Formats: sequence, C-alpha cells, structure tokens
Amino acid sequence: MLVSGPSHITSARTEERALHFIDDMITRNAWLLATFCIVSCLALIAPRALAQAPDTIPPPSVLKRLSVEQLMEIEVTSVSRKSEKLSETASAIQVITRSEIRRSGATSIPEALRLAPNLQVAQVGPHQWAITARGFNSTTANKLLVLIDGRSVYTPLFSGVFWDIQDVLLEDIDRIEVISGPGGAVWGANAVNGVINIITRSSKDTHGLYAEAGGGTSLNDFAGVRYGGTIGSHTSYRAYGKYFDRDNGVFSNGDDANDSWRMGQGGFRIDAQTSTRDALTVSADGYGLNENVFSGGTTTASGGNLTSRWSHTLSATSDMSLQLYYDHTQLSNPEPASQFSPGGTLKDRLDTYDVDFEHRFTLGGRNHLVWGLGYRFTHDVVGNSPPLGFFPPHLDHSLVSGFVQDEIALVPNLFLTLGTKLEHNDYTGFEVEPTARLRWSMTSNQMVWAAVSRAVRTPSRVERDLREPSQFPVILAGSSDFESEILVAYELGYRAELGSRVSASVSAFYNDYSDVRSVSFTPATIIPLFFANNLEGETHGVEFSATYQPFGWWQVRAGLDLLKESLHVKPGATDINNALNETSDPERQFSLRSSFDLPRRLELDAGLRWVDTLFINNGGVPAIVPKYSEMDARLGWHATKQLELSLVGQNLLHHHHPEFGVPGPTREELLRAVYGKVSWRF
Amino acid sequence: MRGARTLLCIAFGLLLADSLNAYGQSAPSREYQLKAVFLFNFTQFVDWPPAAFPEDTASLVIGVLGDDPFGPYLDEIVQGEQVNNRRLTVRRYRRPEDIGACQVLFISKSEDRNLGKVLTAVKGSDVLTVSDADAFASRGGMIQLATEKGKIRLKINVDAARASSLTISSKLLRSAEIVASRDD
Repeated sequence: MLVSGPSHITSARTEERALHFIDDMITRNAWLLATFCIVSCLALIAPRALAQAPDTIPPPSVLKRLSVEQLMEIEVTSVSRKSEKLSETASAIQVITRSEIRRSGATSIPEALRLAPNLQVAQVGPHQWAITARGFNSTTANKLLVLIDGRSVYTPLFSGVFWDIQDVLLEDIDRIEVISGPGGAVWGANAVNGVINIITRSSKDTHGLYAEAGGGTSLNDFAGVRYGGTIGSHTSYRAYGKYFDRDNGVFSNGDDANDSWRMGQGGFRIDAQTSTRDALTVSADGYGLNENVFSGGTTTASGGNLTSRWSHTLSATSDMSLQLYYDHTQLSNPEPASQFSPGGTLKDRLDTYDVDFEHRFTLGGRNHLVWGLGYRFTHDVVGNSPPLGFFPPHLDHSLVSGFVQDEIALVPNLFLTLGTKLEHNDYTGFEVEPTARLRWSMTSNQMVWAAVSRAVRTPSRVERDLREPSQFPVILAGSSDFESEILVAYELGYRAELGSRVSASVSAFYNDYSDVRSVSFTPATIIPLFFANNLEGETHGVEFSATYQPFGWWQVRAGLDLLKESLHVKPGATDINNALNETSDPERQFSLRSSFDLPRRLELDAGLRWVDTLFINNGGVPAIVPKYSEMDARLGWHATKQLELSLVGQNLLHHHHPEFGVPGPTREELLRAVYGKVSWRF
Repeated sequence: MRGARTLLCIAFGLLLADSLNAYGQSAPSREYQLKAVFLFNFTQFVDWPPAAFPEDTASLVIGVLGDDPFGPYLDEIVQGEQVNNRRLTVRRYRRPEDIGACQVLFISKSEDRNLGKVLTAVKGSDVLTVSDADAFASRGGMIQLATEKGKIRLKINVDAARASSLTISSKLLRSAEIVASRDD
C-alpha cells in the first residue's frame, strides 16, 4: 500500500537505431538466438501437412463432414482475425486473442497481458504485478483503466488494480483489447495512459463441459471446470469454478520469500435473446484468496460481483444498452511495524454500485454518434492500522458522467471523430476530457490515424485521505488540495495489412503531463510530507508491432516499444524525491513470439522478451533493476479431439531474476518454472 | 557473436525463399474455403422441384456469377459428390445473360451494384441465390453469408425462397438469422 514507488532518471543518451539495438541484443543472447534458429529450421524441414490443431483450417475432406453449426464456429481469419476491429479504431489498439492466450501458457490475467506489445508488465512476486502503458509504472500504477466485461476493476484506494484479485477462467476469455494512450471520450477518467478491456465469451459459445487440471514448480496445483448449456431455444448459461495454489518467490540471495498463496473463484453467466431486438446478459463471480506475506501474517481477500447488461436494437441504425453492476471487495492486509509505529492489520471493505447507459445511432448517413450517461457510487469502509490509515475511515463517493462522441465521414475513407466526456466527482468537481481523432483509410488495407486528447487522473484515497502512520507524528499524509493529474496527448499511428501474411502497426505519441503527483513538504516543518501536484513534464515514444504468417502453420509476432521520459519539479515547488518517484520504466522493450502447428496435432509456442534497465528511486538514492531477457515456451498436444495436454516452461533463461523493485534483501525475484496441464472439452 | 547472427540470416533466407514459393499456391483464403463448403452444404439442405432440372440425369449446378473468389477449390469440394443421385458441377458466368440451367447461384461481391437486376433475372427460375454482398438477404437474396466477429453467419430471407418453389430444410433455418426484405 505504500506509495514509495520507483523512479526513472532522464537520460541524455541519443537514440540508437533499431537495427543497432537488435544487433546488440542478438550479441548478448547468442545462444538463445541459436535455439530460435534451430527450432525455426526444424519447422521448415518438418512436413507441411496441416496439423489437426484447431487453429489451422482443416482440409476439404474434413470440412465437408462438419455440420453447419460446426462450420459457423471456425474463425474466418487468422493473421487478420482482428482486422475488423483494428481497421476502424483510431487509436493504438492491440487485441490478444483467445488462442494466443491458450498457446502462450498464461495462467493468469497479468501473464496474458504480457502478450500485448504495448504494455509494460513486470512481475514483482507471486501475487504482485506492476502493469502500465507508456510509462509511470509502479505496483500502484494509476494511469490505466481496466475493465472486465465493462465492469471497472480498479480500486479507489490508489486508482490502480489489485492484480491478484482479478481472475477469470482463461478458457472463457474471448479477447483482451488493449489500447495504449488516452482511451478517448468513451472511457473516462483514469483511462490516461491506456485501457484494458477483458471480454469473456458469450455463454452461447461455451456449451458443454470443460475441465482442466495441472501442477508444476511455481504453480503448484490448479484445477478449473466449466459447464454450459441452454435453457429453451433463446437462453444459454454457464457456470464455472477454479482453484489454484502458487508457491513462494525468492529473494535475490535465493532464500524463500514465504509468500505463497491460493485462490478459489466461481461464477456463472446467462445470455438470453429475449426478443429479436433484445439481449440480456447476467453474470456473477465470487472469490476468496489467502496470501502469505514475507514480513509475517497473511493477507486475505474475498468478494463478488453481479453484472447485468441489457441491449436493445431500436432500428437498423440505432441501438442502446444499459448496464448495472454491483461489486463487493473486502481485504485484510498485515502492515509491518516501522521505526515510526507498531504493526497492525489494514482492512478495507468496498461496495460499488454502477449504472451505465449508452446509445449508438447513425444520423444522416455521415454521422455515427454515441452518447451515454453513467453513475457510480462507492461506499468504502477502512479498518485502519497503526502504520497506515485512511481518514475518514468511511467514505461515500459519487461519480456522475456523461459523454458524447461523433464520428463524421468527411469524405469517403476519411473520418473525423469529436467527442468529450464530462464527469463530476466528489473530490475535484467537474472534469472535461475532449478528444479529436482523424482516421484515413489510405487503401483498403492501410490506415493512418492521428489524435489529440485531454485526459485526467482523478485523486484516489491515498492522495487525499492517507496518514502514514495513523497516529501522531504523521510522516506522510494526503492533502485535500490534491487535484487531478492532467494529460494532453498527441498521437499518430499507422496500421497495415501487407498481403495476407503480414500485418504491422506503428504508433507514436507525445504526452504532456501537468499536475503530476509529488511528495512535497513545507520547508518550515518538513513533516508531514504531503501529496501535491508539483510535477510536470513530458514523455514521448513509439510502439511497433508486426505479425508475420509465412505459412498456415507458423506465425511470428514481434513488438518493440521505445520510451523517453522527462519529468521535473515545477519551478518554486518541492518534491522530496526530485521527480524520480513516479516512474520506473524501461527505455526499450522488445518481444518476439513464434507459434508452430506441428504434425501429429502438436503445437509449439515460444516467447522471448527483453526489457531495458529500470531506474528506480530508493529513497533518493538512484538504483536499478538490471535489464533482462526471458523466455517462455509451451508444447501442446491434442491427443484426441477432446483431450489436450501441455507442458509449459516460464522464465526459462535464468534460475531467478528480478523484474521490479528497489534492490535490497527484500526485493523478490522470479523463479524458472515449469508446469503441466491437462484439459478436456466435451 | 557472429556465429549466431549468421545462423539467423540463414534461417530467414530459407524462410523467405520458402514463402516466395508458397505464393503461387491456389487455395483461396480461409474465408472462401469455408464459404465454398457452405455452398456444398446448401445443396444438401434445399429441395429443388423436379422441374428445376432439364432432365432426370442432369447434374446439380453451382454457378458463380462475377469475379470468382474460389478458384479450383470449389471444384475440388464437389468432385465425386452426389446429392439425390445427381452429380455436382461448377459453372462460371460473367453476366446475368450467361446464366444457364443452375440450381445454386453464388453472386460475387463484384456484382453488388447490379444486384437488383440479377435477382430479377433469376426470379421464378428455382435458383437458390447466395452471396456475401452487403445486406444481400434484406435486398431480396435468399441466403447471405455474413462474417461477424470473425465467424460466418447465415442470414436467410424465407420470403424470397418461398417466392420460388424451393424448400429450405429446417435444419438450415435453425442455424440462421431470418431476415425480411427491406421495403425500398
């Protein structure tokens, strides 16, 4: 819960050319590259027979024997599976598909998010992650909006996400859409650096029984089951349950970090086509988890949510939807004693009630309009602990929002989108987030887009209500003067499908930040330190990604992110960390994934990632997380039509390596891990 | 180390050569492979009256009007197959006037502009009209192959089918979205 995040020192180095950089990386990891080459060559030599893996299209003899329903289940596109969505979105969007998640061997949402080339994903320990887009990463990263099926999963305690609490049966994810950059008028406050939307499959598509189980070295055991069916001819449902048990991480000296944990979750979903024009979806989840903490004690969390969504088609050119959800989260976290106070337990109980309405319609053939209204009420009750507390402990908070967006077809293939979100929150009153985007389809398979947007990150309870420690003398406190952080983003992008085998995208951005959080002090008294908006600056960078599918049975995906950050303290203002605390981001990040469909119904996937050095502020002393490269691999075998076996290796290159955190005896490192999994589909 | 770099170059060279080789292959895209199989399926789920055929031994003809997105793949699919003791053959037509005796007519997207003319030309001649053109079913076509969310969906205009003497099996209707003709 502490906000002592890492930092990044601005670099005066000049940019290296991308080729030079790759060359550098190749030299450093020669044997790894050799492995890749050998595997690639083997794949080339292997007979070109189409494996019966579900991802490749079966030969005519098999297709002809399928029923109409089965034919309708086959995906039409592979490389360009996402093309429908991507070709129309004027922002830096990446889509992680269901089969990419399955083939990567990811066992959790954060592991699946590693597949998005435009995200920074750093694992701190078995149950802690630092995830962001375009900078400002920390374990309490606050510039990303994360949704699961339209339900926001961020905590108002620090405007970030407890990644250990968010879980879904990965088999039932349809796709994850990751937008880097301000989400635009539709998404709203806190979608400053990006939006992640995890979309699960309709229960119409998850009939039958699915069961999975397995175990390994870090992921000790896990099991999941889901059953889906129909009620009548217009309603589908599914119910699921899952459980896992994960092992400790280690400290840099190899000692156990004693932070193993386990979690169980279950839920259901019902989709009903109540009339030709109406669809209703109701879903609910409940979970409980238990984590050991290395400083002693256990963290527990439990909660549940209920979401319902009604869509109604008014006409061929107009439809609307209404969504309601209720979310309950409670957690209990041991807080260690410090030199300023004894230890204790911090408890939090949060109830969220949310209603969102949206209407889309076409006006006059040239205008596609979307507008909406929303209201969210949160009731937060904190049980304070001596080292850390929120005052007042009970807080009721309302958020009212409205948005409107118009996509105008200026001339064929040139679209201008204008939109804005207007919100009112109890902390800062009214906030406006306008956006203007231009999209030009140069040819049928190339698109250029540009955007200017304003986005805000509204205060969280940490910046307003925190007291660390709870009792006098308070060292670090929130301030009622803390305002929203503001971003004005300028973006430019290009996306293309070059033939049926290659697709690529490039996005460039220049982000102008003001009123960024600082830890300030009044020179007279020094303590308490308080949160203020005394930082400002800019970041800029480029994101590349490309997919190449030379054959139906081999696909390669690459991603490269470059980022330069330059934050400083406002003239005349104070920040105890000298603008170093808010960021901990690599200047370069590279990923490469290769997927092979092999004969005898085998599939082989391997993913390489390379992350540049992170500069982390250690209480004023700059420190680093060393640059690292790591590799995951998965071998899967469809033994029969129903049975799939897989063997997954994660973090294979080093016995243990750190990805985040201030160096010291308590910085955790991730272990090389292997697990095996069996799944049945009936 | 130079060894690894050389290996990488060799691997990419091989891969490039192979992919250039693969360029000449004739299979259509996944999308049209699937649509070809759908056409084959339709011959089994639709009943034509005996009058639709010139003679008892005539084959069941699948016609493709306009730009052909299937190539030889469609012929490969129907080769050796029989429906109700009739062989299946594929014919290609450039213009509506060229359409001969045909039971299933796939109208290519290239004919989108002339759709009205085409549908009028085959009206009343017991031809099952199929297309993936935009809003085909609401424009009077019988079966539309639409792509939604990466998968193929069927939209069937029952009124259009009923206006001819064709009977579409309920098995097919069950998997489809039933569409009414748009009043224009």
